[in-house]
Amino acid sequence: MDKILEVKNLKLYYHTNKGAVKALDDVTFDLYKGETLGLVGESGCGKTTTGVALLRMPSPPGRIEEGSQIILDGRDIMPLTERQIRKDVRWEEVAMVFQGAMNCLTPVYTIGKQMMETLQEHREMEKKQAEELIKEYLSLVGLPPEVMGRYPHELSGGMKQRIVIATALFLKPKVVILDEPTTALDVIVQAQIINLLKKLKKTFDLSFIFITHDLSLEAEVSDRICVMYAGKIAELGTNQQIYGKQGPMHPYTEKLLQATPLLRKKVESLSFIPGAPPDLIDPPTGCRFHPRCHKVMDRCKVEEPPLIEVEPGHMVACWRCVK
Amino acid sequence: MSLNDNDVILQVKDLKKHFTPHQSLIQSLAGSGQKRPIKAVDGITFDLRRGEIFGLIGESGSGKTTTGKMIMKLIEPTSGTMVFNGEDVTHTDKLRTQVYRRQVQMIFQDPYASMNPRFKIRDVLQEPLIIHKIEGDNQKHDEMIIKSLTEVKLNPPAEFMGRYPHMLSGGQRQRVATARTLILNPMLLVADEPVSMIDLSTRAEILAMMKDVQRDLGLTYLYITHDLSTARYFTDRIAVMYLGRIVEMGPANELIDNPIHPYTKALIEAVPEPMTGKVDVIKELPISGEIPSPANIPPGCRFHTRCPYAKPECSEQSEPELMDAGNGHFHACRRWKEI
Amino acid sequence: MSAKKSNSRFQEFWDDFRREKSGLIGLGILAVAILVVIFEPLFLPYKDVNEGNWRNISYWEDNSSAAPPAWTNIFTSKKSAVSTTFNSPEVSTEEDPNYGLVTTYSFKYNYKYDLPPLDLIIRAKASGMSLFLMELERPDGNIVPVGEQFFEGLNEDQIRFSMDTDAASNAYEFARQFASEEALANSDSTTIRPTFVAFSETGSDMLSARVPLKGTYTLRIRVPSFITDDSNNVLEDLRLIVTGRVSGILGTDTYKRDIFTGIVAGLKWALFIGLATSVVSVLFGVMYGIISAYFGGFVDTSMQFVYQIFAGIPVMPLLIVLAAIFKPSIWIIMGVMIVFSWTGSVMTVRSMAFQIKEETFVEAAKALGSGKWRIIFKHIAPILLPYSFASMALAVPGTIVYEASLSLLGLGDPTIITWGQILHDAQNSGATLNGLWWWIVPPGLFIALMGATFAFLGFAMDKILNPKLRTR
Repeated sequence: MDKILEVKNLKLYYHTNKGAVKALDDVTFDLYKGETLGLVGESGCGKTTTGVALLRMPSPPGRIEEGSQIILDGRDIMPLTERQIRKDVRWEEVAMVFQGAMNCLTPVYTIGKQMMETLQEHREMEKKQAEELIKEYLSLVGLPPEVMGRYPHELSGGMKQRIVIATALFLKPKVVILDEPTTALDVIVQAQIINLLKKLKKTFDLSFIFITHDLSLEAEVSDRICVMYAGKIAELGTNQQIYGKQGPMHPYTEKLLQATPLLRKKVESLSFIPGAPPDLIDPPTGCRFHPRCHKVMDRCKVEEPPLIEVEPGHMVACWRCVK
Repeated sequence: MSLNDNDVILQVKDLKKHFTPHQSLIQSLAGSGQKRPIKAVDGITFDLRRGEIFGLIGESGSGKTTTGKMIMKLIEPTSGTMVFNGEDVTHTDKLRTQVYRRQVQMIFQDPYASMNPRFKIRDVLQEPLIIHKIEGDNQKHDEMIIKSLTEVKLNPPAEFMGRYPHMLSGGQRQRVATARTLILNPMLLVADEPVSMIDLSTRAEILAMMKDVQRDLGLTYLYITHDLSTARYFTDRIAVMYLGRIVEMGPANELIDNPIHPYTKALIEAVPEPMTGKVDVIKELPISGEIPSPANIPPGCRFHTRCPYAKPECSEQSEPELMDAGNGHFHACRRWKEI
Repeated sequence: MSAKKSNSRFQEFWDDFRREKSGLIGLGILAVAILVVIFEPLFLPYKDVNEGNWRNISYWEDNSSAAPPAWTNIFTSKKSAVSTTFNSPEVSTEEDPNYGLVTTYSFKYNYKYDLPPLDLIIRAKASGMSLFLMELERPDGNIVPVGEQFFEGLNEDQIRFSMDTDAASNAYEFARQFASEEALANSDSTTIRPTFVAFSETGSDMLSARVPLKGTYTLRIRVPSFITDDSNNVLEDLRLIVTGRVSGILGTDTYKRDIFTGIVAGLKWALFIGLATSVVSVLFGVMYGIISAYFGGFVDTSMQFVYQIFAGIPVMPLLIVLAAIFKPSIWIIMGVMIVFSWTGSVMTVRSMAFQIKEETFVEAAKALGSGKWRIIFKHIAPILLPYSFASMALAVPGTIVYEASLSLLGLGDPTIITWGQILHDAQNSGATLNGLWWWIVPPGLFIALMGATFAFLGFAMDKILNPKLRTR
């Protein structure tokens, strides 16, 4: 399969006056054409930061460090100027549906007007033509054309999320980053949106990066799963490798799965991970997860485990997996 | 199954809350007619048994939070009754309300938002003691604060008292919020989505803590959530709400393993699970569309507009009441035997 | 740990504030102003001005009228004598042919200007009686007989001898020794100015040419021993006042008042009126807004009605009417300003309080059984008060200008000194027409400066404390 996106040694540090917050440290992964890659982890582990870094728009004082490579469709976008990025990468090639974007629609303009503005900012187009295009995209996300004349407060959360998704797809990007696209929605609406995303992916031949904290949801949408912890990749494997019979190999993934309450099975007690994710200004030595790990060994406390391939396509950063 | 009155801590009967939209002077002069009331809660009946955890499940707009607020007496019910410990508490005077609030406490969804950001943990926990004029000097209060912090397993308690809410993790904050409710020795706790803002890795920890506290102190919980998975793990009984009414109610395991009402079935169907093999498969959802507006409730069975099994009788006949299917499993579907 | 944290809110504010240049400038000026008020006596050239002497004409009689500031000498080709006071004379005893033993007090005055002083005034505090024998020794050795003056029946009274009014004939006599007949014929002792004669080169045209004689002049005051020996006669605080043509840091007005003194003495009133009025009115407005928002419904509607009325009444015309009806008193003026300017912050606070009211922690407090007032004072007000600090600072310039405007219209409180009143007097005396810019510019400038100071502070605080404004 072709790679649409290669991320190599991606480092993003926030330079605060207390020191550098290593929000992303040596993140390396590929995204294949037509696949959905899931990014999971607790809040603050670097999921959203990864998404933002791929658009090359870290919020200040964040900076993508030297040596990071983001190769999009064969072209390294790191050396490009901000102008070039804006012209041919951001939104044109890589689009992002931000978390809570549906709550950021301007309350005083109609949906049609807001969509029109986004469209005309990037494409020179007759008003009539643009309107037709907007209607087409609205119907693609399952909304009637009347929605154009409505204001955001007249729409439900699900409808607003559909509009945000339609807006992200306008410019026919190749990669779409979805940051918690269903978090604030009810389960039935969530299922509807997930179905819509699956349909759109086929229609437009898209590649998705799907960011969520919900491991159950990830199992439904992602071909491959990338588990992040404290700005680093802990485990990366196919859906089968993570959720299959054999189960995940990193203790963090294992514990996260055990902490997920199941609907269809009554469990007497759930396990949990004690403590909280570390401060990224001064992360723990060795494996960053070792203070909370139930399988910790002496080596974990001093040496950082490398991300190694334990079976084809399955990468784990744990000393227990190093033979 | 008949219940001794003594076993029921709170009896809710045909409770309704209708909000009337604000009408401007000009609108009413112009005679544009009364706006439709928003029927947030439209006649719900259930009993809370002493010592149980009762789950109230529903999507947003189902009226579950409004129900919780009525039980907390934060808003006045439009009609219906609430009987707490054998006493009618639907409408109470100021004094009685104050006493009621010592016995019924609430845990909010966002523990951070539920604490004044300018208060230290000590002040947060002392507030109920001051409000209810609990006797004792600061030292006596401190002892009570330490005791309740110990109950929610925040160790060492003394160290947390001087901190501000923003210095704690999400899990620690929810423990403090729980401690604040426990300090007055309540009987009933209303918990509105207490873990939905908390990271997955610690969610189970908080639920386990709340369960321990409930067992140790013999509390009754009303657990309000949209999350069926935690409800199954956490509760004894579940009531599913749709558009202001309970459509199905029963023991947690029974209800989820053998749902009767088509809405409950759809809800369960929509929940994803961490099992491989469903990627890129478009799930057939048994229902479509979104929840209608509570200002415009469909006639007859209010679910008929989205129900895959709806027949003309569902919309033509009157609204179905809760029926017993045995084992304390109630439902409000007329055609349950056929589907 | 906890102590460290409680500081941090202020620390955080300060860290942000330090980045606001205009705020720092405002803070700097305010600090200087406060220091000046605290150490006012150190800055006041006329220390008794606060004891009702600003409008006391005799208090200022030794000054020259409408004298420009002393530093204007830098810009003029003919330098004018600067007003100066000499406090400590040299004291000696000597033999006098007429009076025997006398005590001599001598003042040395170094005259280095082109235009002579307008007057030399001798002042002292005396009891009993006294006899002054006065003469002025010039650098060329000539002696101008200033005069002999006898005082009696004194009881710690101020005695005053003005060369300009009391020594005209003596000066004329001195000029007669040198001046031409023609010149003398055209003048008499009432047409010459004694100081002009005393400070000019001698010569036949000395009355008209007035070539300045520069050098050290010595004014001697002899007091005979029969006066000094009597212990009933007390003479103290003897001083010589040279009434120059230019005076002080900011000159004098036509009433001979020192303008710098007025500015310094007015500063404390500007600060007091500005701060007290804005603090009280903003605090009231904040509480009004909170209560209106918190109770909502009918209370809100009626409170908004009252608010509209007060917000609709223009303050200035009302103040003018009230000040014209009642005896203008600063307390009444401030009271009226408070009554009509609290409306400024109500709407903002009300809308913010509406938001806070819906916060979960307010609901949580209610669920805990908290009463209305506890929620208002414990939960809502402490959050809104910091924001109101900015409003307070921003309200100060307005009140200062209001008071100044009233004073300018002559409706100020006559018992205090304010910059507005200085402006009012200037306008009444036609200062603009007569080119007395030093009377108009400083008070105007200081009113503007005080306004700007608080505006700077207010904007900086607003930016930090009101994060919603930050990006807009």
